[in-house]
Amino acid sequence: MSLRRAIALALLVGTRLGAQGTGALRGSVTDTAGNALDRVRVRALTRIGGMREIAVRFTDASGAYRFDSLPAGWLTIDAGLIGYGLVRDSIVIKAGDAVRLDFRLPVRPILVSPTIVTAAKRSQLLDQAVTSVSLVGAQQIAQRAVNTIDEAVDKAPGVQFIAGQVNVRGSSGFVQGLGSRVLLLVDGVPANQGDRGGINWDLVPVDQVDRVEVVKGAGSALYGSSAFGGVVNLITRENPEGWHARLRATGGVFANPPHAAWAFRDHAGLEDGLDVAGSYGHGSVRAGLSAGARHSDGYRQQDRADHWQVTGKGEWRPEGATQVNLSGAWASDQYEVPEPWCQSGHCADQGQAFQPFLIDTANLGNRTRSDKGYFTALVTRTPSERTAWMARASWVRTHFTDAYPQRRPPLAAADFSIANRIGGEGRVVSRPDSLHVVTAGLEITRSDVVSNVFSGDTTGGGRTHTEDAYSAYAEAEQRAGPLRVTIGARGDFLAVDGGGITAFVSPRAGAVWPTARGSWRASLGRAYRTPSLAERFVTTYALGFRVVPNPALRAEDGWSAEVGRIWTPWPWIRSDAALFFTQARQLIEPAFTPALVIQFQNVQRARPMGLDLSVAATPLSPHLTTTLAYQLLVARELAHDTVPERPLLYRPRHLLTLSADYGWRALGVGGDFRVSSRFERQDPLFPADRQFPGKVLDLRASWIAEPWTLHLKVANVLNYVYNLAPRVLEPVRTATVTLTFSY
Amino acid sequence: MRSRTALFSIALGALACDAGLAPQASCPPGFVGICGTVTFRGALPDSTDVVYVVAYTTFPTTQNDLFDFKPLPPPTLRLDSAARAAPQAYTLALPAGTYQWVLAAWKKQGTLSPQNADSLLREAGFYRDPTDTSKAGTIVVAGAVTGTDFTVDFTNMHPVSFYFPAPHPTP
Repeated sequence: MSLRRAIALALLVGTRLGAQGTGALRGSVTDTAGNALDRVRVRALTRIGGMREIAVRFTDASGAYRFDSLPAGWLTIDAGLIGYGLVRDSIVIKAGDAVRLDFRLPVRPILVSPTIVTAAKRSQLLDQAVTSVSLVGAQQIAQRAVNTIDEAVDKAPGVQFIAGQVNVRGSSGFVQGLGSRVLLLVDGVPANQGDRGGINWDLVPVDQVDRVEVVKGAGSALYGSSAFGGVVNLITRENPEGWHARLRATGGVFANPPHAAWAFRDHAGLEDGLDVAGSYGHGSVRAGLSAGARHSDGYRQQDRADHWQVTGKGEWRPEGATQVNLSGAWASDQYEVPEPWCQSGHCADQGQAFQPFLIDTANLGNRTRSDKGYFTALVTRTPSERTAWMARASWVRTHFTDAYPQRRPPLAAADFSIANRIGGEGRVVSRPDSLHVVTAGLEITRSDVVSNVFSGDTTGGGRTHTEDAYSAYAEAEQRAGPLRVTIGARGDFLAVDGGGITAFVSPRAGAVWPTARGSWRASLGRAYRTPSLAERFVTTYALGFRVVPNPALRAEDGWSAEVGRIWTPWPWIRSDAALFFTQARQLIEPAFTPALVIQFQNVQRARPMGLDLSVAATPLSPHLTTTLAYQLLVARELAHDTVPERPLLYRPRHLLTLSADYGWRALGVGGDFRVSSRFERQDPLFPADRQFPGKVLDLRASWIAEPWTLHLKVANVLNYVYNLAPRVLEPVRTATVTLTFSY
Repeated sequence: MRSRTALFSIALGALACDAGLAPQASCPPGFVGICGTVTFRGALPDSTDVVYVVAYTTFPTTQNDLFDFKPLPPPTLRLDSAARAAPQAYTLALPAGTYQWVLAAWKKQGTLSPQNADSLLREAGFYRDPTDTSKAGTIVVAGAVTGTDFTVDFTNMHPVSFYFPAPHPTP
């Protein structure tokens, strides 16, 4: 092209464009519910020379946008925002005109991998964890309108509660709350009981929990004992900037028994509760306090319960890289003991072989007072992008008294236990370059218990026992191309009552291989659990037999492996599947001895394995979210001595949970349906008791009108009456209304 | 769509195939004891603590014999108005043997002892001999005995001293 021709063409084009003139365009962008959307990108595109962007604007807080000068003619305008679908329209701009064009963007959630903090004791994306992790978010907790956090965690994939005892992939079974093989963390701090090793799920009020991370499989390589089958981390709410208040009121009613022959009262049982929380944040200081109480009449005879709690959390940032956190909670429960249910002839049985809503008259009057609390001081510092460290001190205290007014000497009229678990930890996370991450730490824990039932003293006297643990751990992640390889180990050194030290080394190795639509992961790690002080030193009566201590009890140990796959075939669906396998030995179980007493012993070798699958999808409409969780568990007790191979007690082979939620403007409806197959093996202590599958349908609805939120939940809508633990009735239909005010 | 229909069908099937726990009458095969009903008459006294159903192998002749009943602990009857409106079933799990007196024992509020049994306990009704309803019926337990029905009459209760030293009740 000659220079002369080029100048002539430029003049011609300039003349034509100048002849068109300009016009103005304005409008607004909202979502489909009519709410204004801020920071929406609005583009003007021309088709001259192909689709070409000629101007860009962003909406203001009221959702408005404005182009003062667009060339006249046909233009294409589009509006887009993350989380919403792109909307495009064509428009004719005439010279000198002002045209209005409004957009309504449909919600189109983007499924991104969330950040987790538990699987590797540091922040990482969920897709980068070498083990399976389930998340229960604040929205799910609120939707389920639960009173304690275990009710929300119960529906997580691979998790099942049996009469209050948590199972992750069938880890614990049911041992009356003793010997939990799941470790509870509160903001990363171990919070299992110092005496029984169990979990107080009402330690932290549900209203203060922001989200829950459930790490499945052996976690001993980072967390040591108790993390044999998994780790549950309750992450509490952050205190936001400014003044904030929150009030949560609940009221509920329990259904009466569905059969007249089981009637036990002529009125409905009620429950109610009130929680109040306030926080303030300004500059470098933030603090929050909450208090609450609730009462329940219960759904059975002798089932009334009262609960009080207070929590606090403070944060101080003396400078940008350093943060000091203080947090604590105290809860007190006083409740009647409604278990086990009455068998024929031991209550007003109305001619029934058993009365699931009634208590044996010999147990009338039994009640418990349980006080528990924790306090944590935490300092974290991030001096550079490459290094961060933390130091924490923590204290967990539990104190329970079980009153048995009908007991006669030589049995004490009350059992009690006061336990403390005091710990400290220092941890460093180093990222020397973009390919390496190293996490290393030291941990010290001292547990003590004074009790008349965990005393080891068969004369019934009270005694103190202690357990000291000194631990060191390190784990490194190395990137090799897209592959992430993790290897680490933890050493624990334990001493009971100041005696000889027992050492455990728990290594773990894993890898994550990202793919175009997800990732593959694999891991192999050692699991171990030291017996709780209660298991070593319990001395009481159960089922009419004497329970005697076993101070020589050894730790359980095993190996756990899994291969998993996160797969996102389409943007609206995300699946996570894992094949898992555990080989365990020296599992601690209560056993009858030839002397006809009950004693905790290292009796079992076991091999739980199976499939853990979860699928989350937003099919049909972005307003509809659905999840499916399925666990196939083949849990076998291996043959030993004269015992043949057989199923482990209290493990269902199939566990299926279906959930769906639909949100339309301020209204939301949803539900969960869970099926748990019947246990494959009958408890030999209750050979005549029938076993049932669990089948529970929960429905819920919510209505949001800021600052108010109303949740309605009907749990066990079908009023399906069943039990999982022997002679312990699971909850009947319960309707609950929760009203929340947030400022 | 087909997969969603299949999933829905599975869910419905799971809901329908089992009804969970259901009432199961006592006196099942292998049960040893007495199964019957009580019918209530009269208003429940305000001072009522509890009403037990108990059995004696031999008719008590002294106040100390009063505490030689079976089973231990004894079952109690439901006393709310709904439960008293219709015959109420009861079950006594008993060792095999002969029982001369099966009765409902009303207890007044207070702590019971052998010394105050006469003031706190009342016989409120007992199983009667079908051939002579003025007398207590004797029951031989070898397995499950059914049909041992009787009436609890709160308007016609008798203190312990009503019977002693009488060998048998003659209401």
